Amino acid sequence: MRIPFISMFMTSPFDGLQEHAEKVKECAWVFQRAIECIIEDRCEDFEHFRKDIDKLESEADAIKRRIRGHLPKGTLLAVDKFEIFRYLGEQDKVLDVVEEGLDWLSFRAAAGIPEVLEKDFMLLVAAVMDPIEELSKMVAEARKYFSNFAEDQRVVVKDIIRDLRHYEHEADKLEDAVKEKIFNAIDDPVAVFHLIRLTEIIGSIADHAENAGDMMRAMVAK
Amino acid sequence: MGSEYTVLIIGYIFGFYMAWNIGANDVANSMASAVGAKAITIRQAIFIAGILNIVGAVFIGSHVTQTIRKGIVSTDILADPHLALIGALSALLAAALWVSFATWKSLPVSTTHSIVGAMIGFGIMAGGFSVINWGKLGAVVLSWVISPVFAMVIGFLMFKTIVKFILSKEDPFAQALKLAPYFISIALFVVILSFLFKTPLGKSLAVGTPLALLIALVMAIALGFVAVKILRIFIKKTNLTGEEEVFRKIQIGTSCYVALAQGANDVANAIGPLAVIYFLVKTGSVGAKVPVPIFLLFFGGIGIACGIGMAGHRVMDTIGRKITTLTNTRGFSVDFAAATTVMVASKMGLPVSTTHAAVGGVMGVGLARGIEAVNFRIIFEIILYWVLTVPAAAITSIVIFKILQLFI
Repeated sequence: MRIPFISMFMTSPFDGLQEHAEKVKECAWVFQRAIECIIEDRCEDFEHFRKDIDKLESEADAIKRRIRGHLPKGTLLAVDKFEIFRYLGEQDKVLDVVEEGLDWLSFRAAAGIPEVLEKDFMLLVAAVMDPIEELSKMVAEARKYFSNFAEDQRVVVKDIIRDLRHYEHEADKLEDAVKEKIFNAIDDPVAVFHLIRLTEIIGSIADHAENAGDMMRAMVAK
Repeated sequence: MGSEYTVLIIGYIFGFYMAWNIGANDVANSMASAVGAKAITIRQAIFIAGILNIVGAVFIGSHVTQTIRKGIVSTDILADPHLALIGALSALLAAALWVSFATWKSLPVSTTHSIVGAMIGFGIMAGGFSVINWGKLGAVVLSWVISPVFAMVIGFLMFKTIVKFILSKEDPFAQALKLAPYFISIALFVVILSFLFKTPLGKSLAVGTPLALLIALVMAIALGFVAVKILRIFIKKTNLTGEEEVFRKIQIGTSCYVALAQGANDVANAIGPLAVIYFLVKTGSVGAKVPVPIFLLFFGGIGIACGIGMAGHRVMDTIGRKITTLTNTRGFSVDFAAATTVMVASKMGLPVSTTHAAVGGVMGVGLARGIEAVNFRIIFEIILYWVLTVPAAAITSIVIFKILQLFI
């Protein structure tokens, strides 16, 4: 039996945002493992990572579609509907960029990453993992804020957003340093092009995480 | 004589069917926020709603009922006992069928408005359009606007108050305990006032408005302190923490009240027309008001409880799974808004239903950004069926009247 009274209540889009953030995190972990695999030089199963990411990406896509498709006109939310869409868009871009990075890496997987740059790339990837892991925490804390509207809780969310900005800045600095090293240490122009582009892609992961943070800042604005 | 008893038996069946429908359709409205906010379990909700509806119907329910609910149709039409008999039967069946249809189609209609509409249909058949009291019908139309809007405002303000003074504080639990007496007293004030104004038992005490306000105020404050003492003992015993827990306990009280008031008020929707049939068969005539024997009230109460018992589990189960975003503070705001609206509106003489008030309450809390997602567009659909209820029940009643005339 369907009850009229409860048709007013609907699934919260925040459930979806949180699920989506988890998927992004999983993707990032796969990416990190893939980079490590390439660096270890014994990477026979690189395709396996791509398949994993592909699967995660399509799952995340389904979540995204579910959120977008289930907020009909006239839905009243704790925040503006389009703020949620914009936030979701940024969070999804993080995932897209991770996938793009893995694809780019695979085009020249045999050559891998030159030994002189191994450590730098490990550091750069580690630097962009931090903001990604913050995302799901941020969604959870923001949800808490929407349940009690306490100033304390707002500060918690704002602190995470500030951390995101900080992480992005750190990743930016690392990115520049890696780029400089590539130009100076590598002579093969094809390798330079491949590595520079890879650096930029990895660096933009943090950019999108920061953008997501900015969108969240707009949502928790009074 | 034999045929008249057949009519009486048919009347009992229709009356029970109507009461069953009231139980099945309205239980969701009174218990939804409590079950949704996990203040009570499904089993408890069915038990509480069933028992309290019977208690409300028998002890608080009207022992003298107006033969025509809400005086919407002139009692002149009752002059011909034969017509009155057919009319009461067709009104009862028409209202019950419409409510059944609404329950099946999941439309939030008011059982009170259904019986009012059915009575209008009977009135038109028996005496033409002139017997309809259009002013009273205007009050029904007015209630479609007033009750949800009023409940929305109250729900909004109540939730904002809870946010400001409890949820957003540094230690919300301590703040909730500190302010609990006020919230309990405010809720009790409304409950006592509506008991005095709205329930037939309260009306029979016949206290004036200023005196009623005074009684309610004093009792609310006194009982509020007693309730807080009990609450504190509860908290010590069970070690509960969290501001939501405090409101969970308060919410149990408010949902009990809603169930009680529902039994007291809605039983007349099923029993009023049945009482007319009963008196026509027994005495051959009927006036503007008839005394209702206790066993009829009990019969109605049992009917409502049966409806709750048979349909309740599925209803509550769906509610429990679907309304996951409603916490106790929000549930309390909805309950409070609904109870206050029903009380104020009935004091103003508007026939309101708990359905309409509860819908308004949810809207108010949603507007206060208290619920992560509320479907507002459904309100248009809801309003459409509120408006359709009266004519739909009237037309059904007319059709049944015509058919019954062929046989009786």
